[in-house]
Amino acid sequence: MTMNKKYLVGVFDSEHTLIDAFEKALEKGVVVEEVYTPYPIHEILHGMKNKTHITYAAFFYGLGAVILLLSGMYYAAVIDWPLHFGGKPFNTFPSFIVVTIVATILTITLLTLFTFSVRAKIYPGKKAEIIDIRATDDKFIILLDQESMNVGKPEITELFQSYGASEVYEKETEKTA
Amino acid sequence: MYKTDVRGKLIDGEEKSLSQISAEILAPIYAKTPRWWYITMGIALLMFAWGIQSVYITLTQGIGAWGQNSTVAWGWEIINFVWWIGIGHAGTAFSIFLLILRQKWRTAINRAAEAMTVVAVLCAALFPLLHMGRPWLFFWIFPYPNTRGPLWVNFNSPLFWDFVAISAYLLISASFWYFGMVPDFATIRDTTKSKIKKAIYGFFSFGWTGSSKEWLRFEGLAFVLGGIAAVLVVSVHSIVSTDFAVSVEPGWHTTLFPPYFVVGAIFSGFAMVLTLVTLMKKLYNMEDFITGRHVDAVCRVLVFISLIMGTAYITEIFIAWYSGSEYEFYTFFKNRITGDYAFQFWAMFTLNALLPQLFWSKRIRNSIWVVFVISLLINLGMWYERFNIVVTSLSKNYLPASWAAYHPTSVEIGFFVGTLGMFTAGVLLFFRYIPQIAISEVKMVAKFNKQQTTHLKPGHHHDYE
Repeated sequence: MTMNKKYLVGVFDSEHTLIDAFEKALEKGVVVEEVYTPYPIHEILHGMKNKTHITYAAFFYGLGAVILLLSGMYYAAVIDWPLHFGGKPFNTFPSFIVVTIVATILTITLLTLFTFSVRAKIYPGKKAEIIDIRATDDKFIILLDQESMNVGKPEITELFQSYGASEVYEKETEKTA
Repeated sequence: MYKTDVRGKLIDGEEKSLSQISAEILAPIYAKTPRWWYITMGIALLMFAWGIQSVYITLTQGIGAWGQNSTVAWGWEIINFVWWIGIGHAGTAFSIFLLILRQKWRTAINRAAEAMTVVAVLCAALFPLLHMGRPWLFFWIFPYPNTRGPLWVNFNSPLFWDFVAISAYLLISASFWYFGMVPDFATIRDTTKSKIKKAIYGFFSFGWTGSSKEWLRFEGLAFVLGGIAAVLVVSVHSIVSTDFAVSVEPGWHTTLFPPYFVVGAIFSGFAMVLTLVTLMKKLYNMEDFITGRHVDAVCRVLVFISLIMGTAYITEIFIAWYSGSEYEFYTFFKNRITGDYAFQFWAMFTLNALLPQLFWSKRIRNSIWVVFVISLLINLGMWYERFNIVVTSLSKNYLPASWAAYHPTSVEIGFFVGTLGMFTAGVLLFFRYIPQIAISEVKMVAKFNKQQTTHLKPGHHHDYE
């Protein structure tokens, strides 16, 4: 579902001014819709209160892969087609470890990439929803949703400018809801 | 934590704004293709064409077109396979180990190292594929329920381990490289004036905008991939070494092999990285980003690894004598240090263990062309090392009646030259169409340039990654 929404956009020239303004805005209880930056900034990632569980997901992918791989090799070597190697045991477990490690790493990588793609919505053919085109180059952008803005527009504009925003403007855009 | 006063500035020249960083790194993509690029590309494609012809002969006539015989059953193909895989270790070694060690200077070099890895591993994979004899049936090596029994693959065989390791390594290093580039592709999409570039790079940027939600997950992804790929770097080349070490050939059957191979791989990979970055520095004027201190740091790493290599060579020789095994003794003392293959042995020893010791001298580390030449010679030395391991052990083993010599045929030489062409062409395409340096990562560390060792503001921890 798409609809047009009104936004207030604060443009900053540097990381420090952005962080200061962002933290001050949070203190005042302003709801920040999103922050766009040319590189990851931990204060922002922390302040936005989003959490990622991708590392937990990766752990469970790995756990699943280990179980599947070891049981698969056990099935092939012991149950389905046991081979006699001069009286050696069918279940040659220690030498299964090598394939288990490498194939587990491969499984974790592919599934975690897929998870990232789904959760961060980064996939081939996606059209970027660009708020301010300079955010991937040298500007730091704070985006506020005007509907859910609990502090007045002039007040926020003044706050942003007092912390060194180079521009504050309004923008109406279509955003996937 | 990175201390600026210890290592010097990360970026040279006058202080750059963030948009300047984008513009300078992207300059080769926006500029006209230089003439040397076309000339080198032409030569690379000619080499590649020779490779294609050799592969054609191999496919139509079979492995008989190569110089192997029943004694020396592994020749140039395995040498070249191990050589390329070794070179391919640098990308992950650079990105992952330096990421884990929080070395911020890696940001200028990791992209090139990863690009090189992907192309080198592709080159490497061709050799065992064709060595199978009937490469069109290569999928038989996948363990899948089949109509041949079902007959399973041998899970105890290092050759199968190797297959798993190489496929995994290729897929993982390619995805690690690609996802690192997504934010940079978005930068190209948003800064280019060309509509075609906007469309193409826009497609490859997968809709990246730089929002906090994306960065958060991106960092999570990098953390996961970095953590597990570190294990991979060590395991892949250890597995390659078990192809040899699990056999009972004199000179192969040693417990030293896995660490020896891993270190050797990182050694050749770092040398190739050095070759590439000196070229980037000179041909593309990336001197502000790839500073003398970057080259210096890689050279220091090489001195250290070179010492490990020398230790490994001497350990092998010592144990060949100390073990009391006459076959081991013969292989090392009569067939490597002296004998038919003495030249290859001493070329290896000189180029890998002795020559890099020149890097102790600051003057040598600072003269870029000497560094360039030494980096090429190290890779030549590493090729001789693989020649030593593969050919000398096989040619004269337990039974003198089956001793044989090995000479490569022109088909084998063509195949190798073809992969060299493929690698060069791949690197040239990388130089031309992909940001050579990770833009967003350089921007992230750019601030460490200014305020020397002090934190930007009390209470703020800018310890990213």
